Amino acid sequence: MTVGDSLMLKLEGLKVAYGAVEALHGIDLEVRRGELVSILGANGAGKSTTLMAVSGLVKPKSGRIIFYTDDGRQEYLENLRSHQVVGLGVIQVPEGRRVFGPMTVEENLKLGAFSRKKWSEDDLKKVYQLFPRLEERRHQMSGTLSGGEQQMLAIGRALMAAPKLLLLDEPSLGLAPMLVKSIFKAIKEINLSGVTVILVEQNARAALKLANRAYVLDVGSVVLTGCAEALLTDEKVREFYLGTR
Amino acid sequence: MLEFLEQLTNGLARGGIYALIALGYTMVYGVMKLINFAHGELFALGAYLGYCLLVSSNLIGGLGPVLAIGLTIILVMGLVALAGHLLEKVAYRPLRHSDRLAAVVSALGASIFLQNAIMLTWGAQYRAYGANLLPNLLITVGGLKIPLIRIVVLFSALVVMLGLRMFIHRTRLGLAIRAAAIDQKAAKLMGVDVRQVITVVFILGPALGGLAGLMVGLYYGQITFNLGQLYGLKAFTAAIIGGIGNITGAMVGGMLLGLIETLGAAYISVGWKDAFTFLVLIMILIVRPTGILPERVVEKL
Repeated sequence: MTVGDSLMLKLEGLKVAYGAVEALHGIDLEVRRGELVSILGANGAGKSTTLMAVSGLVKPKSGRIIFYTDDGRQEYLENLRSHQVVGLGVIQVPEGRRVFGPMTVEENLKLGAFSRKKWSEDDLKKVYQLFPRLEERRHQMSGTLSGGEQQMLAIGRALMAAPKLLLLDEPSLGLAPMLVKSIFKAIKEINLSGVTVILVEQNARAALKLANRAYVLDVGSVVLTGCAEALLTDEKVREFYLGTR
Repeated sequence: MLEFLEQLTNGLARGGIYALIALGYTMVYGVMKLINFAHGELFALGAYLGYCLLVSSNLIGGLGPVLAIGLTIILVMGLVALAGHLLEKVAYRPLRHSDRLAAVVSALGASIFLQNAIMLTWGAQYRAYGANLLPNLLITVGGLKIPLIRIVVLFSALVVMLGLRMFIHRTRLGLAIRAAAIDQKAAKLMGVDVRQVITVVFILGPALGGLAGLMVGLYYGQITFNLGQLYGLKAFTAAIIGGIGNITGAMVGGMLLGLIETLGAAYISVGWKDAFTFLVLIMILIVRPTGILPERVVEKL
């Protein structure tokens, strides 16, 4: 399979409102199978809200979220509840990691596989291969892990669900530059192993280096889209999101 | 020494009853962050349903004591679970997305409604299970005479609590409940159906509460329509002492409270029995504001 030969997710005119405040004013977005697509933008641009709508944690006011399954069906995610979305293989790593602090690392990972009927020790091994640190700390309470380790755990937990589409919300938030590098490297590896990825980031430069394509959001609308290399050199992007360098 | 052991077993039985009720408070709070103020009334409903089956329908006469008690336990737990499920559907589910305070008011309203429903159904006077309902057996252990019913109460409370612990820690649904109690949103992202989890805790909690009601009837012999008020408040206290939201905490808190109350009544003053309970609550909250075993063992980042 080559990257980007068929659609996996399509957002059409997605509007989300919190009470009277509209957070997304009609987003159009496409993700193709095998792609790594980044969503960029400042705080409050609507990046997280977009992911929450896909995951079924907020109900859209209008618009469509279409997920194309491997066997050619179309699922309208806006009509599904969050556990049904997870059941389709659309797995989110939420902002702030949200690991289950009073549970051990391994319990967290097992909980990641909650939606699957069957999983094996091999799935655990794969996660430990990607993040050896987690294996060292498998019996430790996850609340006592460092921020970077918690991020690894959050990603590993999502991998246990055997994701088809992985949604990552600000995985670099609050991490030291060295750790950001290794997290991003792991994300690229996951993507190259065949998992389609949507990466929401404020760290635009790092995200663009990783992504195939990107969308730039500003106060609830898509203001710019294109392939990642082009955006990296784009004047407007440089000015607003990358700083001048 | 014998008297002390006598009081000790009595305290443990009482504590087992508190613990069973406290589990209902703590499970619902753990998942929904809501105090189900109507839980005490569900407990009282269990006591009255037991009365209905054992005294009014005279099951013991028809089936013999062992079978009758067994059947009554199952029926009472099932029926009170059903009542709890209906309560959740009617009083709490419609308010899931509204303000916390609205749910609290709804809980208080449900409590008043249920208490009055019990009074209108069974009357405001005391109802007696009767002293001769069960054969009045005394078990003698090294000079210590323990009524059989005390052993039955303590034993069944322990079995049920052990079963609950195993359910929570060993089963898939139990895992879902634990996850939803720690972080509802994250649990949803793992594929946990939180609505189903809420349904389950509103079945399990009332079932345990109903069983406790039946035990009070059997153990103390008489019940009244506002039984749920004081027991509910005490069990709620036990849940807080143990650390609300923590299942083991509710068991520990309940046992502790039963012991303190019984020993306090025996050796200090019966009249101050209830005062001890709340004195202990205040003292524990001063030293450990989150209870003995706080809900979150480790704070999230």
